[in-house]
Amino acid sequence: MKGPLLKITNLSKRYDGNKIALKNITLEIQPKEFVVIIGPSGAGKSTLIRCLNQLVKPSEGEIIFDGEDISKAKGKKLRQLRGKIGMIFQHYNLISRTNVLKNVLNGKLGSVPFWVSTFGLYSQEDRLQAYNLLKTVGLQDSLYQQAKDLSGGQMQRVGICRALMQEPSLILADEPIASLDPKSSEVVMDYLKKVTEERDLTCIVNLHQVEVAKKYATRIIGVREGEIVFDGTSEELSEDIIKNIYHLPEKKQEVILPVPGFVAEGEAVYE
Amino acid sequence: MNSSGHNPSVPLQQMSVIKRRLTYMMVLVFITFPFIYLKVNPLEILTAYPSIVSFFGENFFPPDFSGFKNYVPLIIETLLFAVVGTYISAILAFILGLAMSENINPIALVRWLVRTFSSLVRNIPVLVWASLLVYIFGIGSMVGLLALILATLGFLTRSYAETIDDIADTKLEALKANGASPIQVIVNGLMPEFIPSWVNWTLFSFEINIRASAILGMVGAGGIGIMIQTNIRLFKYQEALALIITLVILILLTEFAVTKIRKAIL
Repeated sequence: MKGPLLKITNLSKRYDGNKIALKNITLEIQPKEFVVIIGPSGAGKSTLIRCLNQLVKPSEGEIIFDGEDISKAKGKKLRQLRGKIGMIFQHYNLISRTNVLKNVLNGKLGSVPFWVSTFGLYSQEDRLQAYNLLKTVGLQDSLYQQAKDLSGGQMQRVGICRALMQEPSLILADEPIASLDPKSSEVVMDYLKKVTEERDLTCIVNLHQVEVAKKYATRIIGVREGEIVFDGTSEELSEDIIKNIYHLPEKKQEVILPVPGFVAEGEAVYE
Repeated sequence: MNSSGHNPSVPLQQMSVIKRRLTYMMVLVFITFPFIYLKVNPLEILTAYPSIVSFFGENFFPPDFSGFKNYVPLIIETLLFAVVGTYISAILAFILGLAMSENINPIALVRWLVRTFSSLVRNIPVLVWASLLVYIFGIGSMVGLLALILATLGFLTRSYAETIDDIADTKLEALKANGASPIQVIVNGLMPEFIPSWVNWTLFSFEINIRASAILGMVGAGGIGIMIQTNIRLFKYQEALALIITLVILILLTEFAVTKIRKAIL
């Protein structure tokens, strides 16, 4: 048996020197797992997932992906490792004035020389692969539509195709359905689950909908204020644990709104 | 209504009495002070109009188009100044815009240098550039072109850099995650997203440049401006008017064409 696909040790992230987003995260992820990270907004889910492919530079800690330390990788090495990690975004992050086919082919950027991407000299095999991916999500008729003319659900399906075009071994999805309606959300999540199973991929998804997490995840990780507070299966995620994940120590909320002491002749008088 | 009581009523805005009165006062000073300082009677400005109109009517009409064909090369020169000045600045400004963008260029010193350069050239008016360059290079077409390029370059660099920063902030993250190199991120991500603003800013500066190019001649930097000035100095007002009319038509045609191009591209 091969070791873990991803091994995170003592990962911490501080923004601007003081605000702590992640505290000493240690985590192992095995191949073929479908991990869903849940937690309230601001808990550090997004930071965690972005540290994995170095879109956010961790302050401390080590991330071993596929036997290599991605947190130390730079330049070409980092781009190669990123090429093996597909990513899906909440706001899809498609290039809006580029057509659907080219957006999917952008997934190849990490593995083709720059003159190929600059002059659009992608091989016919690559083009066919992109076409086939789009066909599986039912977008084969929109190849030459500009991405900006698609609906949110369609954009996210293109986003998934772009990630798969990389032929990754790991897929990261940062709130992939947070901007979608329930129907599109289901289509996107079903497809994500289906392709990761078919291709034996490992998938890490940030979600804030606990119900969706329970439906799809093989493993759920609860994050609260930058720390892992739960790590287990859907069955183990009880109501009490959910409350614990989403419960925040009450903060003093003082709303400082000046209230006029009294009103004289239509003018508010502040003391 | 009960205005003297202490019934709670809701004020429309949160502005104290003092602050409001202060604002009124400042507006008043702003309006009146310049006239006092400049010792200009606003009424005199109004009463001056009839004499302007009559002088204009007596001396400038009818426009004299008899020498028109002599001016054609100058009109073409004026137009080409604007065309060449704009496209050269557009290319250079794109490169400088990339160098000035925080999200593209990680080297702070280079960003600072480009920003300083662009605000320096931008804040010197094109006519000042032209008269300065005339001293250095002498009278001629190159001076006009150089002045236009410098002024446009400063303006476009900043506009481009701001747009590039906006785009690079969000969308390009995805391509980085794909493993794209910085050049690939620029070519495959930034450039397609940048085209609409690029077209907009560039056409906008072309409209400015055609006006600027028309007055460059007044300091000896080439174009139609020199003839307008010469004719006025020689009291050939009717010929001057013919030139001014030609200029207005040229500018209107440019605006019309720019609007059409904008619609076709965007």
